[in-house]
Amino acid sequence: MNGAAPKNRTAGMKKLFWLCLAAAAAVVLYMTVNVRFDNPKLASYALHLRSVKVIVMLLAAAAIGAASIVFQSIINNTIVTPCLLGMNALYTLVHTAVAFFLGTGSILLRSGNAAFAMDLLIMSVTATFLYGFIFKKTKYNVLYVLLIGTVLSSFFSSIQSTLVRVMDPNEYETLLVTLVASFSNVNEEIILFAALLMAAIAFVLRRDLGVLDVITLGREQAINLGVDYDRVIRRLLLGVVLYISVATALVGPISFLGLIIANLSRQLFRTYRHTRLIAGSVLIGMVLLVAGQLIVEQVYTYAIPISVFITVGGGVYFLYLLLMQRKRG
Amino acid sequence: MFTKDLTKRYDGRAVVDGVSFEIPKGKVLSLIGPNGAGKSTVMGMISRLVAGDAGLVDFDGREIRKWKSRELSRRLAILTQTNNVQMKLTVRELVSFGRFPYSGSRLTAEDEAIVDRSIAYMELEDMQEQFIDELSGGQRQRAYIAMVIAQDTEYILLDEPTNNLDIYHATNMMRIVRRLCDELGKTVVLVLHEINYAAFYSDYICAFVNGRIAKFGTVREVMTKENLSQIYSVDFEIMEIDGKPLSIYY
Repeated sequence: MNGAAPKNRTAGMKKLFWLCLAAAAAVVLYMTVNVRFDNPKLASYALHLRSVKVIVMLLAAAAIGAASIVFQSIINNTIVTPCLLGMNALYTLVHTAVAFFLGTGSILLRSGNAAFAMDLLIMSVTATFLYGFIFKKTKYNVLYVLLIGTVLSSFFSSIQSTLVRVMDPNEYETLLVTLVASFSNVNEEIILFAALLMAAIAFVLRRDLGVLDVITLGREQAINLGVDYDRVIRRLLLGVVLYISVATALVGPISFLGLIIANLSRQLFRTYRHTRLIAGSVLIGMVLLVAGQLIVEQVYTYAIPISVFITVGGGVYFLYLLLMQRKRG
Repeated sequence: MFTKDLTKRYDGRAVVDGVSFEIPKGKVLSLIGPNGAGKSTVMGMISRLVAGDAGLVDFDGREIRKWKSRELSRRLAILTQTNNVQMKLTVRELVSFGRFPYSGSRLTAEDEAIVDRSIAYMELEDMQEQFIDELSGGQRQRAYIAMVIAQDTEYILLDEPTNNLDIYHATNMMRIVRRLCDELGKTVVLVLHEINYAAFYSDYICAFVNGRIAKFGTVREVMTKENLSQIYSVDFEIMEIDGKPLSIYY
């Protein structure tokens, strides 16, 4: 009598397996295309350079993929992205402000470590403080968080564009480079730190993640089934904010990617089980990022940054999602 | 389970004002009253969904907010009307959630057996692999009731279970409520708009007006011409059908 459920389960495992394979293939291709293996020195140099970038991309995909699914589930809406929390705008503002007041020659922009530490610190402290406070004030109403996030986004962007207007054009040129998502300029120490931080957050939140399936039934049902709803939501939201902060500090503003990969995962798996949705979203993110970067580097030779693809693709996909939702009623 | 001086204020205005009553064990109790009388808010407070401003809700000798949520969820179930699930969820998966308070997401063989029985009790065997969002309103309501049955609690609280259902499905729903009490021995509390459903299918009625209890008693005690006219400010006639007092209003 319980026939269809296990079938669905094995089909899901199969899909996950293929996604793993696709991600592995993308990584292998990225590492090997156009590497001159006949020259061991060049080859080892290229492999080192690329492996660092690959790891950064995988980390960013993991952070954004997981955070997006969790964020959508706690908001109970599948067309939102953690972008709405304003982290991208804050990142842009922080970098512009540093360039404006300290100059682009400042150590805070030139040194990878210093920039990463600054971004992560400012973003996570601001977000934790701000959203923790707002959450308490609004009696744990998630919609207010969304609204305030949107307002803050435009607030940060406005300040940033004001600064840019009065900025020296040469400085602006230099600044622009750091405002575009990129996977270079990240060193091993940062990677290790980011990975450890993400693992630690996931470990601390493991029990809250375990009740995500129940959370999607809505507040009333979750409480009925014995979940401490407000506490779980608060902790998960802070986790989302921290993950997005890590990803943005690592590679720049690309969290819009989350909209695409989270929804592709939901379409592919058609389930409420979050272990699978999150795994799917993370893997799809890895495939898209690595393959996309491969195309950017090998076909367009860096002429077009990957964020352009993400924004264009994401925009089209977003429209598609909206139209599909309307169709369903 | 009883409440004492339960009070809830919104912006300084008391929507529930000093409400004290005891829920009769093993019976069906209906909360009725005009719109805004506070019956749903009372329901929210006795189910811990809404925090009260004063007074207490005593569940088995302890204030309800002092209970561990998980423990309480094995003894008291609440079903509200805001059940819009965005996920792709089958009927069986929904009913399985009823076992979450006991086993988390990993169901034991015993849990599966209970899920099977709940589905069978609500006659949902044929549609247990269908998605919830593809069902009709009446079917979806039954699926949620099956989940509550799987939750296996002594108390079941239902907030307007007949809302949005046509006469056929609403009547079926009320029969199910009666069976939950008579066959499974549950204590059922429901908020109802339709007085005659309350009169025909419950044992006790608690009527609210302006945040206070206007009348509490057995169906026969509450369902009189004078009481109802007073509660609803409309003229009433009471008729005797099938040995139960039913009302006509105009």
